[in-house]
Amino acid sequence: MTAVADRTSTHGTDSRLRAFLASDSVSAWSFLLPFLVIYLLFLLYPVIQAVIMGFYDWDFLDISDRTFIGLENYGRMFWGTNMTWDVTQLWQWRLVGLLGIPLVLRAHRRRAVSRTAMITLVLGVVAVFGIAMGVHPGVDGRWYDSQFWGSFGNTVLFTVMSTPAIVALGLGLAVALNRPGRLVGFLRTLFFAPYVLSVAVLTLIWAFLLNPTTGLIGSAFETVGLEPINWLNNPTWAMPAIVVTTLWWTVGFNLVLFLAGLQDIDKSQYEAADIDGANGWEKFQFITVPGLRRTTLLVVTLQIIASFQIFGQVFIMTRGGPNGATRVAIQHIYESGFRDFELGYSSAMSLFLFVVMVGISVLQFKFFPEES
Amino acid sequence: MTTTTAPAKTQTAEERTHRNRKIRSRLFMAFLFVAAIVWIIPMVWMFSLSLTPNDILQLDTTNLLPQSPTLENFGDVISVGLTPRWFLNSVVVTGVTTLFTLILSAMAGYAFARIDFKGKKFAYPLVLAGLMVPKEAMFVPLFLMFAEVGQHNTYHALALPRIAAPLGVFIMTQFFTAIPNEVEEAARVDGATRWKTFTNIMLPMAAPALTALAIFTFVLTWNDFLWPLVSATQREMFTITTGLASLQGNFAQATELGALMARGVVASLPLLILFIIFQRQLIRGISIGSGGKG
Repeated sequence: MTAVADRTSTHGTDSRLRAFLASDSVSAWSFLLPFLVIYLLFLLYPVIQAVIMGFYDWDFLDISDRTFIGLENYGRMFWGTNMTWDVTQLWQWRLVGLLGIPLVLRAHRRRAVSRTAMITLVLGVVAVFGIAMGVHPGVDGRWYDSQFWGSFGNTVLFTVMSTPAIVALGLGLAVALNRPGRLVGFLRTLFFAPYVLSVAVLTLIWAFLLNPTTGLIGSAFETVGLEPINWLNNPTWAMPAIVVTTLWWTVGFNLVLFLAGLQDIDKSQYEAADIDGANGWEKFQFITVPGLRRTTLLVVTLQIIASFQIFGQVFIMTRGGPNGATRVAIQHIYESGFRDFELGYSSAMSLFLFVVMVGISVLQFKFFPEES
Repeated sequence: MTTTTAPAKTQTAEERTHRNRKIRSRLFMAFLFVAAIVWIIPMVWMFSLSLTPNDILQLDTTNLLPQSPTLENFGDVISVGLTPRWFLNSVVVTGVTTLFTLILSAMAGYAFARIDFKGKKFAYPLVLAGLMVPKEAMFVPLFLMFAEVGQHNTYHALALPRIAAPLGVFIMTQFFTAIPNEVEEAARVDGATRWKTFTNIMLPMAAPALTALAIFTFVLTWNDFLWPLVSATQREMFTITTGLASLQGNFAQATELGALMARGVVASLPLLILFIIFQRQLIRGISIGSGGKG
């Protein structure tokens, strides 16, 4: 009786309310809520917003002025007039791409890649290099957006040029600097230091460094009797110059990740190899490289995703020039939205870039069949 | 006889290979040392130019040691243009972003790691999915969202998208998961609320992880370029990074190279100082933040 009365009294609801408020679910959600609200609003919602905007012709100068145009933005990105298909179109690049198939098959035979990943990769390579890249405007035809594929291609070119260089140098430095001692620690600091500079400081230094009249590189060329090259104004050299600039800036990041990876390799493996009389190169090849497999794939993925977002260096140093040689995807998205005032079109392009990058991340997960 | 000479012979051979190896290792270190010095030359050059008077720089810009060093370029940074204002903007935005990232990540990480609650199986993967959203990809819809409510050129517009990043939550969840249950249970038995155990026990224990996260967040936020470029379009609201970028590529720079380099030094100084003091934490932040381990 008393229990029933108790439950109905105000004191009862009060304590039940208190018990409810003290319950795990309520406290957990109150811990989560502040982050979740900001996260949903400013990270996840923009993705949905980008999908919506991609279907509109949306004016930057008057954001209430928008017209639904369906898939027209995507047609404008990917397509043109009088389109045809040729085996010979960009055949050198496509051939290099198709060489990925034997590599994938070999990786699958060595069980480095799961079956689904192998099939997806091979189909992807055939679709992109075998088929899609053969499409181009025929006689009297042109792309609707003459700069889209060019700038996207430059982003890919930058990624292809910079990733192997940055990963290899990061690995080499990590192996060389993976020893105790104050001096080595100091050298690690020197190699890592440029990473903390902002992109504007990076470009400030390197634009002048690469300048043929004021820069150190130009004067070094003159000292050995060579004509200084105007790197950033030369269509052939501008992109390599951007790659070298980026290499200097970010190799420290990969150095750190590789050093962390080296710590995880069992030291006794090297001792055993020493007893067997293995030389340095053999130890590197048979212990270090396999031991760093996980780290290397991580570094490569991070590097590819970071490279796909390249913008600042190019935008400040060359504005995409000379003659579009360094114009990259994000710059094209930025200028379509904020110079040509077409927010819908630039959203559609960001979404395409987003899908490509998420695709790369997903592939990375597929590459790790043994890990959840 | 033979039994006594044979070991002696091998010992000298061993000594020789040992000495050879030592010499080779010394040479290798010397090579690495030279390489590291060459690597750092561009930064030394910036410092040197920032300390050189502009009239000397019109004749020669290739000295690694400043000729007749002066601080006049740094006086120029304070008296000419908006650099001090940009610096202040960066301090405010970076400070606020770092502080809120720490608080919100620690709270959310604690909930995910230590509490069993309804909806966790849904909420945690939802947050992890955000790790796949590339930082620079969604600036156009974000721009529209802030434009619709007229909030561009404000500090919160610069800070909020960065605070929304799920990396900190991921790092803190990993950290709190690794703490043994007994620590928290002892406090809970004594009747402490979740909030009390969080602030009094878990947060102090998380100090190393929080420091690493703080340094990492500070560096990334200070160096943000694309979002401040898009959102803060009034010159007074530029950050030091976008402000410095806006000064490059115009014609004045040929005559004021020293002043420009001094601005570069000012823009990098907070990070260089932080880096020198907290190098280990920054490096830890990078390896936990990218690989999910520390």
